[in-house]
Amino acid sequence: MAAFIVRMGPVLMLWLAVCVSGSWAVDRGNFKTCDQSTFCKRQRALKPGQSPYRALLETLELTNTKLTLQLINDNNKVRLLLELYRLQGNMTRVKINELKPLKPRFEVPDVLINDPPTEPLSLLSQDENGMVLSLGADSQRLIVSAKPFRLDIMEGREVLLSLNSRGLLAFEHLRIRKDTLADPEGAEKKEETDAASEQTEGEEATKEDEKVEDGMWEETFKSHTDSKPNGPTSISLDFSLPGVEHVYGIPEHADTLKLKTTDGGEPYRLYNLDVFQYELFNPMALYGAIPVMLSHSPQRTMGLFWLNAAETWVDISSNTAGKTVFGQMLDYVQGSSETPQTDVRWISESGIIDVFIMLGPTPTDVFAQYASLTGTQAFPPLAALAYHQCRWNYNDQEDVAAVDQGFDQHDIPYDFIWLDIEHADGKRYFTWDPHKFPQPKEMLQGLEDKRRKMVAIVDPHIKVDNSYKIHSEIRSRGFYIKNKDGGDYEGWCWPGNSGYPDFTNPEMRAWWASMFAYDQYEGSRENLYTWNDMNEPSVFNGPEVTMHKDAVHGNWEHRDLHNIYGLYVQMATAEGLIQRSGGVERPFVLTRAFFAGSQRYGAVWTGDNAAEWDHLKITIPMCLSLGLVGVSFCGADVGGFFKSPSPELLVRWYQTGAYQPFFRAHAHLDTPRREPWLFGPENTALIREAVRQRYALLPYWYQLFYHAHRTGQPVMRYSLWVEYPQDTATFSMDDQFLLGRDLLVHPVTEEGARGVTAYLPGNGEVWFDVHTFQKHNGGQNLYIPVTMSSIPVFQRGGSIIPRKVRVRRSSSCMEHDPYTLYVALSPKRFAQGELYIDDGHTFSYEKQKEFIYRRLAFANNTLSSRNLAPGSQFTTLSWIEKIVILGASKPSKVTLKMPDGKESQLEFDFDASMSVLTLRKPGVNAGVDWTVVLQ
Amino acid sequence: MHCPILIAVVIWSSCVDSQKIRGISLSYKRFYRERKSFLCIDGSKLIPFDQVNDDYCDCADGSDEPGTAACPDGRFYCTNLGYRPHYIPSSRVNDAICDCCDASDEYNSHTACQNTCRNLGQRERAEVKSQMRALDQGLRLKQQLIEEGVLTWRDKQAQLRDLQRVLDDLQTQLDDLRKEDARRKKEVDALRELEIGALETEENSHRSHIMNESPVSIFYELDSNRDGRLSAKEVRAKLTDIQDGERVLSEDEAVIRGRVPGRLVKGEPVLKAAVSAAEKAAAELKKVEDAYETVYMEIRDLREKLATDYGPEREFLFLYNQCFQLKVHEYFYELCPFNQVTQTSASGAEVSLGKWGSWAGSPQHRYSQMKYENGEPCWQGPTRNTVVTLTCGTETALRSVKEPGKCQYVAEFQTPVACRPALRQQGVHSEL
Repeated sequence: MAAFIVRMGPVLMLWLAVCVSGSWAVDRGNFKTCDQSTFCKRQRALKPGQSPYRALLETLELTNTKLTLQLINDNNKVRLLLELYRLQGNMTRVKINELKPLKPRFEVPDVLINDPPTEPLSLLSQDENGMVLSLGADSQRLIVSAKPFRLDIMEGREVLLSLNSRGLLAFEHLRIRKDTLADPEGAEKKEETDAASEQTEGEEATKEDEKVEDGMWEETFKSHTDSKPNGPTSISLDFSLPGVEHVYGIPEHADTLKLKTTDGGEPYRLYNLDVFQYELFNPMALYGAIPVMLSHSPQRTMGLFWLNAAETWVDISSNTAGKTVFGQMLDYVQGSSETPQTDVRWISESGIIDVFIMLGPTPTDVFAQYASLTGTQAFPPLAALAYHQCRWNYNDQEDVAAVDQGFDQHDIPYDFIWLDIEHADGKRYFTWDPHKFPQPKEMLQGLEDKRRKMVAIVDPHIKVDNSYKIHSEIRSRGFYIKNKDGGDYEGWCWPGNSGYPDFTNPEMRAWWASMFAYDQYEGSRENLYTWNDMNEPSVFNGPEVTMHKDAVHGNWEHRDLHNIYGLYVQMATAEGLIQRSGGVERPFVLTRAFFAGSQRYGAVWTGDNAAEWDHLKITIPMCLSLGLVGVSFCGADVGGFFKSPSPELLVRWYQTGAYQPFFRAHAHLDTPRREPWLFGPENTALIREAVRQRYALLPYWYQLFYHAHRTGQPVMRYSLWVEYPQDTATFSMDDQFLLGRDLLVHPVTEEGARGVTAYLPGNGEVWFDVHTFQKHNGGQNLYIPVTMSSIPVFQRGGSIIPRKVRVRRSSSCMEHDPYTLYVALSPKRFAQGELYIDDGHTFSYEKQKEFIYRRLAFANNTLSSRNLAPGSQFTTLSWIEKIVILGASKPSKVTLKMPDGKESQLEFDFDASMSVLTLRKPGVNAGVDWTVVLQ
Repeated sequence: MHCPILIAVVIWSSCVDSQKIRGISLSYKRFYRERKSFLCIDGSKLIPFDQVNDDYCDCADGSDEPGTAACPDGRFYCTNLGYRPHYIPSSRVNDAICDCCDASDEYNSHTACQNTCRNLGQRERAEVKSQMRALDQGLRLKQQLIEEGVLTWRDKQAQLRDLQRVLDDLQTQLDDLRKEDARRKKEVDALRELEIGALETEENSHRSHIMNESPVSIFYELDSNRDGRLSAKEVRAKLTDIQDGERVLSEDEAVIRGRVPGRLVKGEPVLKAAVSAAEKAAAELKKVEDAYETVYMEIRDLREKLATDYGPEREFLFLYNQCFQLKVHEYFYELCPFNQVTQTSASGAEVSLGKWGSWAGSPQHRYSQMKYENGEPCWQGPTRNTVVTLTCGTETALRSVKEPGKCQYVAEFQTPVACRPALRQQGVHSEL
């Protein structure tokens, strides 16, 4: 828009200079390769071989909670301290730090939900070569080899995982600058020297230190110089996974679900960055970072959680990856003894080695283990699972009203309308543009009248403007991040020159949270929620479009904690939304940047994608990867952010998005409008139908999120190996997914597709097409013809899914509506499911146990509803209006039995062609016990 | 006020006698005669009558549940006594949002809806009345403007004819003057040829004093490349010694056109006279040429404007040459119909939002929208354009300008000539 161009002209030009390449794609030159990140280059130059590290067995200390042992680097005589913990729930924690660092090294706080409870370790045997420890139950043992240092975790005779087996443990210890450039103050130098000399064999250590390579004490990328006052501080460790051919996780990358080997290419990079027009299928860093990798084989699922928030690179190699099919066959024929193995190497720029080895053995176990460390998905308000309508930007109040009206006119439901950066007064978040949004409360009331909600953006860059309250308060309280010289760090972002609050400071977070109070955030109401964008943080004129690594957060450099900054922004914002309601209401906050633990605070989306078919495809592996590492509430901009989708792509995207957790349409400012009714009546009808399918399924979605919140199990799962861990055939497939256990979705992501081939897993299982009720056998690839009307979705035989088929204009309007139960029978005529109901938006389910949680089970021709949570209480007006039994035979009589002994006959309808039995109007309240008997 | 009570009574009594058939219009009542069974309107199914409006969807067409939200694509009839009856999707029944002004859609939700039909009806009738008044006035004004338009059109046609005549005259004059001018120039050239011939013979012997005496010869002397002009370079080359050292001759100062060396020939009376006559002729020619050009352009403009589509009765002709302004926050918009739309920011930067393109209304109402295209290009985007929607009103004014999509502007332009008698029908229709 013109106003935007005029005001944002300088910013855009700058942004352009920073971000835009000539062609349509990311400008790779703006982002570092491993070679350009000197610590990665140094670390990667180390080749596997003999490790210089030796365990000093005589330093062993074994307490109830942990084992400690010193390691020595025989080349430079620097000592490290190894701490080993056996954690409850079949996990092992390995921490390695310098024994006596010159100053403390950063350990990531606020990610673990508590100090993980430990179990005692016991020493089984020890000799001069090492020792064997028992890992508690089972036959798991931990073998510590002394020279070279190495750890092996074994179960029976099998090695599950080895550390430093390739000798790539490398710990750049803190040192005093010796080259001519540095002349630290005398006192400081003396002190440090004293500290260093305390180390045994300190003299030799000094020699090693003198090898100064380029980039150790200063590094320049493009026009930015990183001053590196602490010198080289990087760490690295390798892990070998025998028997493993498939590893997943370490989001966020726009890449396949199964991670690729990185030999001869770039490692996967974890460094939260605002990447303009990102490219698909490569290991470049994106907006978020979760340093968790899962390994899977038919025998076992395990996880590695590398708790480090600095820039991190991950190398993956495999002994089978390079082999041709012929080579693999030869191995088979010759009975090659070589088992497949995946080797992983983690490299981080600073901090310590702190790794959690989650030993599974099932996928469910790994999810539970990771959840026990970092918490589970926040349980969102029900409305947040409905449809969201967003655009950069809805121009003014009139525009918002017109779009709201458009949805009603075209009878398309929606729950949230979103406002991007233009809503604020000159990008001063927490304010409203006085011309475009002069009466925000009236606007919000208008939405409330339709039982709808709004999200307004609040970004963490704060306009430097003394008349702006948020800025002057943050400045006067000293809450801004500092630059290396001690002044407030300033960078260029949407509002122009901006400060960045130090969200790592708990006082800052508390203050920020208080800004969401209704009397602080002018124009806000209960139905206004928040979106945190640009929280990598994005700094248009910073190195790699982010913050200088030598910026200072209290005692720490930005380098140490870069990847967790975004988590803190969302944490403080979610806390603000909770506090404003006096702790009553559940918050809803969307974030672009994230880290391990971000799942506790809300939803994430995959950032600025594009209106292209491949971008639609990539939404599946990107959200599946996030689901595997705890973040279930994931979505991609429906329609694509940049560029303009064809009507076909837009419709297909709605159909896919309707079955992905976070369902929001969004579009760039420069793109033509694309509200669902702008593409002719046919496309409007197709989109309406897609959105309605979502709304009808909201009870199931809500229940999945309740489950994810309780257990850490992902909502959107990788079909085969999470639910079917033995089915190797499809370990690398990522064009379909399961929602929970029971719905299999195969989106159509090809232009002009006439059909898709879906894989229906489970030998001996059956799947029912949810649109036609046609039954298909599991364990097969199935070609399904498709039209524009829908995408293939199947319900698993053996499941019961509740729906609310009376789709209304918003989810709140459907609160008291009755349920229809879809009972899909297994070949053994069995099915089960759940029903979860609460008020949909408060913490009462948790605090007052106000919820209904029931088991629905069909067996022996009897369907019953039984309470799963006897301690809970909640009353609902909803009732059961219909029961649809798929794969049924025709009964002669159907009886509804109530606990008080009352019985009544139910009318029914039987469709013999599809074997569908429909029971008419049981009419029972959804919260009570009942039984239906087919005779 | 006893009217609300009266309405309440009416609603109450109507509820009593149509308990089973809530949500249908009178014309559908025949399908719902209380019998033992009910046939879905599409004929697909026969159900017991007590399953009509029992909050369970039996008919595929939703006809058994006109008064509940049970059927997915059902519709509910709001009687809205005192206002306009209309259908709402049945999904809006009992959703705790008041949709029917008679509150009939929320008979079983916890929302207390007020019956607002009477107020709405009054307000709408008042609005329709004022709209009708405006429409009548607008149509009268439109008639005047059409009549004025006819006169203007005639004026313009006459003007065009006059201009054409003037142009013809000028053409004749031009022909004569061009001949005269050519003759005069030839005369001067001949005389000058003679003069220069004479000078050349004396050149060598009288070089030194010629320098002081004869400007023609000085000119000739300086014009080293003999192109009839003196360039700064030529002058500088010859006159280095008489420069004052600080001033450098500029190109403007140095160039002396060979065409007008008349000032240099003071001493030759015959040549002088000839030159002055030639100058006069040339000036005269220039004057007439300019006049011709002006008139020609005027005719072209006028023709172009007269070729524009001003509506079936040329009712939009009066907008010709007019501009209308509107200030929206920090922007100043100007619509010059059949010409262009511009936006001026507070800083004074003017941006074209499109030049007159075409009428762009629907085929039935072609003249209800104007399209202005090919304005200034957007950053990373297409060129700006503006769609102007014309609405009926008693005044002619630019009412609003918005930018719903980037660089896609929409404006509302109110004018009596957009008033159509058909609008009266629509207005009367909505009047109860």
